[in-house]
Amino acid sequence: MIRLSSVSKSFDGGLTYAVRELSVEIHDGETLVMLGSSGCGKTTTLKMINRLLEPTSGTIEVDGEDISQRDPVQWRRSIGYAFQGIGLFPHMTVEENVAIVLRLLGWPTAKKRRRATEMLELVGIDPEKFSRRLPDQLSGGQQQRIGVARALAADPEYLLMDEPFGALDALTRDTLQQELLSLKQRLCKTVVFVTHDIFEALTIGDRIAVLHKGELQQVGTSEEVVGRPASPFVRELFEKPAKQLAAFRDVL
Amino acid sequence: MNAEWTSFLVDRLPELWLRVGQHLVLTGVSVAFAILIGVSLGILAGRVSWIRGPIVGAAGVLQTIPSLAMLTLLLALLQRIGAVPAILALTLYALLPIVRNTITGLGGVSREVVEAARGVGMSRWQELRLVRLPLALPVIVAGIRTAAVAGVGIATLSAFIGAGGLGQFINRGLALADTRLILLGAIPAALLALLVDFALGATNWALDPRRKTGSRTRTKMATRMAAIILPFLIFATGGFGYVRARPDITIGSKNFTEQIILGHMMALLIEDHTNLKVDRRFNLGGTMICHGALVHGEIDLYAEYTGTGLTAVLGQEPSADPDQVYKTVSREYRDRFDVQWLDPFGMNNTYSITVLQADAERYGWDKVSDLESWAKGLHAGFPGEFVERPDGYPGFQNAYRFEFGQVSDIDAGLMYDAIANGEVDVIAAFATDGRIAAYNLRPLVDDRRFFPPYHAAPVVRTTTLRQYPQVRDALEKIAGALDDRSMRKLNGWVDQERRSPESVAKAFLRSKGLLKGMQKR
Ligand SMILES: Nc1ncnc2c1ncn2[C@@H]1O[C@H](COP(=O)(O)OP(=O)(O)OP(=O)(O)O)[C@@H](O)[C@H]1O
Ligand SMILES: [Mg+2]
Repeated sequence: MIRLSSVSKSFDGGLTYAVRELSVEIHDGETLVMLGSSGCGKTTTLKMINRLLEPTSGTIEVDGEDISQRDPVQWRRSIGYAFQGIGLFPHMTVEENVAIVLRLLGWPTAKKRRRATEMLELVGIDPEKFSRRLPDQLSGGQQQRIGVARALAADPEYLLMDEPFGALDALTRDTLQQELLSLKQRLCKTVVFVTHDIFEALTIGDRIAVLHKGELQQVGTSEEVVGRPASPFVRELFEKPAKQLAAFRDVL
Repeated sequence: MNAEWTSFLVDRLPELWLRVGQHLVLTGVSVAFAILIGVSLGILAGRVSWIRGPIVGAAGVLQTIPSLAMLTLLLALLQRIGAVPAILALTLYALLPIVRNTITGLGGVSREVVEAARGVGMSRWQELRLVRLPLALPVIVAGIRTAAVAGVGIATLSAFIGAGGLGQFINRGLALADTRLILLGAIPAALLALLVDFALGATNWALDPRRKTGSRTRTKMATRMAAIILPFLIFATGGFGYVRARPDITIGSKNFTEQIILGHMMALLIEDHTNLKVDRRFNLGGTMICHGALVHGEIDLYAEYTGTGLTAVLGQEPSADPDQVYKTVSREYRDRFDVQWLDPFGMNNTYSITVLQADAERYGWDKVSDLESWAKGLHAGFPGEFVERPDGYPGFQNAYRFEFGQVSDIDAGLMYDAIANGEVDVIAAFATDGRIAAYNLRPLVDDRRFFPPYHAAPVVRTTTLRQYPQVRDALEKIAGALDDRSMRKLNGWVDQERRSPESVAKAFLRSKGLLKGMQKR
């Protein structure tokens, strides 16, 4: 379980806050989706969990232990992180990118290979064709899937996914969402998943946390946030897509 | 003309290989040091941002020091000539492009990639080794390329401090006004620079991470590997060539004509009577530089004068007794420096108070004492060294109990012209200088026997004699065969008639029947 208690982050010495007084728990085996408009502090929150950023105040605990006490390098290796900017290593092949955490963990070569192939298949990339290419030689959506494969490769207990399917078409995205769901059920992963897509949030999330301007508006199951919105912002957030859906039905 | 060029080249081909080898060793070793130091400093500057400014600043300042000034400065600081100060200077010059490109390259890796490296769980060291360095490599190699190409050029100057290399031809060509020799140094140096540029360009091409995959056919992989190895191959070939052609005996000389003639004589004798390979590192500088080079083993031998050894090197009081002086320097050099004095050549290049022949006749000057009553009205031009040394003017005043009305410091090379042109009346000439005869000068008799003996003799490292005992036999063939008059004539041939010191040395040895090969012909 990951517990954030009154976590705040300011980049300008307290003038403004990217994240303010955020308290939320992510239970084991749960997928928490973070929703919110651009710049509301979602990526900042993930980076603090990963310790790429240190909170200005507040604590983040894992199973009751403050992560600031842990060795950051070891802690990061136990987390799979699909970055918003993807961040593939341009000088490494697709296979090397996927296997990077395994390499850091010191897996033997053959095992690394097998695992990388498995992961590529999981995200719908043909290993035969792509494993030796460099990231530059892939499409944006393919790169994004390599990023997801890299996050999953070491079979980490925790997954941080920052808009991992943002560049994908609806069909591929649906396939991957289903994969993620079954993976989570099979392997009992604890996932924090950031998206701008309401339907993705409803499909994947066990619970949804809505952020606005760095502050938590509401956290709860999809029924709770849709049915009993805690603030005008939350209501608006779900009203727009509902109207669009109605318009879409009319067309059909 | 063509045939002449061909034979000129053929004659010098073995030496050309030696110089190319030395040149590559100088550049290669210094660039290797600069890579070690520069890349480490670059990495450090990436970590600790406040030292970035000072490091780049210092490397930049080093590079603005003119090359000759840098070499001379290091020569003075290290108190020695040869490869050590040259490599140090070249290393310092090579630092800036390498440090700067390392910093640029490491800092140029995109923020997203660096964040991913950290986020995935790399330690700082892994982030550097697995991500930053490989991505920065092309930029770093570009810096190395700049440094190496510039290094090949600057290395031509290291011949000035006796480190050898292609600059040696250029130096010799400049001294003798021989265009062919200058070109023999300059053209290979330029070609070498182009070759090194091409080789490191190829390496850079091959190291581009984007070229890593695509098609992994065998030929492409082989081409890449070859391109990466190419620069190493060139420098290794140079090193190998150097080791193969490395001389057994290195002969030095001070920076004036007589020394160069004596150097050539010793070199010719050794080459003729033994099968040792000789390297001529002439024109090194003054006494202390040659002595330092000898003691440090940069050279194996050179010609020294007994009086200079006694006073300038050993710091003892001058003495007028030639045998006494020779015994003292022999003993002291052996005990203190592990250096042997061989039998003297014969001539005594002591200072001699010299006037115009015409003046001598008009005023009846024959001995130095004859000047006493005229001294107040005479203008003397003495080399700086003579004015300072205890066996020079200060001692002279003691012995003769008079001083000249006016004394000017004057370059040793210019004083003969100064007296011939009437700018001064008296000079402290060297007894064997060719201009004494050419300018109608008259050395006065040293009637108080003040000037100590300056008999020239080969000084040789004891270890060299132990390793190559035949060197002693070869050099002793000339012992006593070269008197003042002959030396003056030989100096005159070079200084006044512009003949090459080597041909003059050869002609003399041949006339004395001291060259085996020459006699047979
Ligand atoms: N390194 C930084 N320095 C200064 N400000 C930052 C930094 N990183 C993020 N911010 C600011 O913090 C706020 C939150 O950024 P964050 O990246 O967490 O937003 P987000 O919710 O992930 O947005 P998006 O949906 O567009 O990705 C923004 O206003 C952003 O400008
Ligand atoms: Mg974001």
